Amino acid sequence: MSRMLIPVAVLVGLVALSIFGDRPEPRADLTFINASEVNTLDPQRMSWMHDLRTARLLYEGLVRNDVLSDDFGIIPGVAESWELSDDATTYTFHLRHDAAWTNGSPVTAHDFVYSWRRALLPDLVSDYAAMFLNIKGSQTFYDWRQAQLDGFTDRTFANADEQRKAAYDLWEETKAQFDALVGLKALDDHTLEVTLKRPLPYFLDLCAFGVFSPVYEPLVAQYERPDPVTARLIRRAGWTKGGVLISNGPFELTGWRFKRDMRLTQNPHYWDRDSIAIRTISIPSITDPNAGVLAYQTGSIDWIADVTSPYRGDMVAQKLAFLDEHKDRVAELQALGHDQFSITRMLPDDPRAQTHAVSSFGTYFYNFNCKPRLPDGRDNPFADARVRRAFAMCIDKASIAKEIRRLGEPTAHTLIPPGSIGGYTSPAGLPNIGDATTQEERDAIIATAKALLKEANFPDDFVVELAFNKSAGHDLIGQAIAKSWQKTLGVQTSLSQKELKIFREDLKNKQYMTARAGWFGDYGDPTTFLNINQSKDGNNDRAYNNPVFDDLLDQAAVELDPVKRMALLSEAERILIEEDLPLVPIFHYATVYMFDAKKITGLSTHPRTKQNAYLIDVLGDGIGPDQPRPMNPDRVQTEPTP
Amino acid sequence: MTSMITMILRRLAALPLILIVIYTITLTLAWAVPGNPLENPDKRPKPEVVEQMKKQYNLDSFPRFYISYLSSVTGFEYAKDWISGDLSRDQQAAQDAGFPAVHRPIFDLGPSLEYDDWTVNEIVSSALPVSVTLGAASILIALVVGVGAGVIGAVKPNSASDLFTLTVAMIGISLPSFVIGTALLLVFAVLIPLFPVGGWGGPMKAVLPAVTLSLPFAAYIARLTRMGMIEALGADYIRTARAKGASENAVLYKHALKNAFLPVLSFLGPAAALAMTGSFVIEQVFTIPGMGQHFVNGVQNKDLFLIMGVVLIFATMLILFNLVVDVLYRWVDPRIA
Repeated sequence: MSRMLIPVAVLVGLVALSIFGDRPEPRADLTFINASEVNTLDPQRMSWMHDLRTARLLYEGLVRNDVLSDDFGIIPGVAESWELSDDATTYTFHLRHDAAWTNGSPVTAHDFVYSWRRALLPDLVSDYAAMFLNIKGSQTFYDWRQAQLDGFTDRTFANADEQRKAAYDLWEETKAQFDALVGLKALDDHTLEVTLKRPLPYFLDLCAFGVFSPVYEPLVAQYERPDPVTARLIRRAGWTKGGVLISNGPFELTGWRFKRDMRLTQNPHYWDRDSIAIRTISIPSITDPNAGVLAYQTGSIDWIADVTSPYRGDMVAQKLAFLDEHKDRVAELQALGHDQFSITRMLPDDPRAQTHAVSSFGTYFYNFNCKPRLPDGRDNPFADARVRRAFAMCIDKASIAKEIRRLGEPTAHTLIPPGSIGGYTSPAGLPNIGDATTQEERDAIIATAKALLKEANFPDDFVVELAFNKSAGHDLIGQAIAKSWQKTLGVQTSLSQKELKIFREDLKNKQYMTARAGWFGDYGDPTTFLNINQSKDGNNDRAYNNPVFDDLLDQAAVELDPVKRMALLSEAERILIEEDLPLVPIFHYATVYMFDAKKITGLSTHPRTKQNAYLIDVLGDGIGPDQPRPMNPDRVQTEPTP
Repeated sequence: MTSMITMILRRLAALPLILIVIYTITLTLAWAVPGNPLENPDKRPKPEVVEQMKKQYNLDSFPRFYISYLSSVTGFEYAKDWISGDLSRDQQAAQDAGFPAVHRPIFDLGPSLEYDDWTVNEIVSSALPVSVTLGAASILIALVVGVGAGVIGAVKPNSASDLFTLTVAMIGISLPSFVIGTALLLVFAVLIPLFPVGGWGGPMKAVLPAVTLSLPFAAYIARLTRMGMIEALGADYIRTARAKGASENAVLYKHALKNAFLPVLSFLGPAAALAMTGSFVIEQVFTIPGMGQHFVNGVQNKDLFLIMGVVLIFATMLILFNLVVDVLYRWVDPRIA
């Protein structure tokens, strides 16, 4: 028996060594949970919200959004000023001389040319390449490179060395082609000239988007080279790791352990470092929603950027009850122009107050397949706009928002969240049974819908299928919609729950009848929502095709007068949600945050839901001014002192 | 001794064959799962982009993927390029053209399709030490607790203490670890803040997950020990030991436990492999950056390289641990040789 003790003792020693050798790091000035593990820190490859949120800490683009203002205006970033030519197509950016990378070298216009070229290489498959295709000549370049790559694999070579050489030569040629074709020029180290193919009123807003951030060429180029066999530029992982990454934002990456944590430290070379009120940030990778809330409650987390625990509805309800207990004071503060976080800060201490539901730049909706035939070959009744309209009116949106979601989210009558884009007037939308205040009103809406179905000869024994992916309560919403349709229109329904990847594939191939969907806007313009309904758009899962709608978007694309342009877009959305209904907006998303407003300040309540976490000041920690950073500080009226 | 070495060599020779069978079955199944690994749930890449990526990773052809993955995982491709001189020629040509030298890993498990910035080699090398440490700690706890409880029960069968340990063992086996884990968290991290809520690094964070993970193993070991001890204590040689006047402790720990421990030892091989390759549930509850989550997430994301990587690692560990247990077995009990 004593023989057995030897391996056991060895094991004990090894375990102790491993456990004690792995010391936890000291607490950071700010610790927050970032919704999910970051997928990539390569800005040109990003598309996830949590990746972009991190990008804004590590990188800085030409310009930024003023997230603490209601107009979400453009403020200088690396560019300290810019001019637009008279024909509104050429931007000239003047880069500040004190903008620097984390290693101290200056950020130059060449860095932007290099980075934006990366996004425009079909080789690197940037999800947002389309945004860069607004630059003059970029489409030609993109297509040219794609054609060269396609042709390369068909060419025959004498030996591997020759093939390798050809791949490298093609890369040299590609760089020359880019400079010759694309309207993106570094006039000198600090002047960048961008020529667009047509005026784009929201181009500066795009420049504030994380994908337009610069990367450090001397580092990134170390990890990219053309594949000798296919000639494609292959990017290797590695340069986005802690201690390796060189970036130009307010923070630098000092550590990133996969699915464990990320650590950021203030960039000592950042030009606006004096305005930063936190020195270190820790982003632990807590993906389990309950674990996140527990960690917050024990005080190890300062901010949860997206609470997804199943009981968050109750948390929001408690917050609303708390606000209701102080409703006179809340009304008073609202009248003075205070934002929701500031109001919470000025109310008495209460654990319930630390939950915050913030309206988001996204909408939950149901798609109708608009193809004339269903996947099984039958006639598709939803190809008829009247049928879609009738079904849209008979979803009890209010009860879904109130009883299933329970996050205080507004019911949606439009695709674009109203009030989220300055200068845009949302159309009214269709009447909905959920809005009816009296039984008569409700009956009238149902009668109209039934009449529409009759007019469209909706078949009697037709079974409507609702498809959704597993998770996040989509099943409950699907059931509620099915029940609404059964009760009001008397149709039969069936529910179909699918795995996410399969569900996505079915949507893309239009293998469904009706299906849940959601969309979050990327930039501050109505087209970020409307474009997905263009007949040729890659995200048009509905197979919706209305030349009038397409034409309105085309007209808006060339309209120089901003007021007229917005009117055209508004008309396009009106057609979408009052006449054609390829999709039924159900509610506009809210995001639930957890933080103590008496301690954390500098978060934005703007419906674009874009947080620049470097603006956060932890009150009372002795770092930074320790002053509240409210929304619209100039517009808030101070209270008359008694 | 020679027979032991022959056995080890024979088992090691069989390892690649078993792994190839596992590789073939797993890849066939993973390939058959519907859905496209390159689909992004929110923003959709363009069709030509998806086609390109499929080509790059050989995802457009099963036989090609089968061969190319196998040759890069086994180091065959590296060896081939090294011997043929392609490796150095490639490096030289790249340097001449102004590109940096690329250091290829010898055993390449491929990229993660879901996490752009990480290779499967990196993911495994960061997650495996965590899981092995946690698993080893929990197996140690399970051994101490399980053997102790089993002996107590066997000394006085059907007594109150026996009944108590049996009940606890029953609970340990039947209650799922997310219930036990969450309960421990609520009691010892939230109500009585002795331990941190989750994460990894340092001894304090390891206690609750190690205990949770050890419970089912401890319970099973307790039952095995109890059964073995009861059987051994009724055997003739124990009566002989008692007759010659051996102390009760010597009888229990020197004579009886030695035999009663053998079934526990054979259970330890697969148990250790299971514990050390991570548990999805425990990693979720305690936020531990281990291997278990990659089994589940890999399949959900259809991250083919990650699935294959973790399955092959798990299979290798399982086979090796069984081998280690067999060696220990012969060492503890020379009769088996």
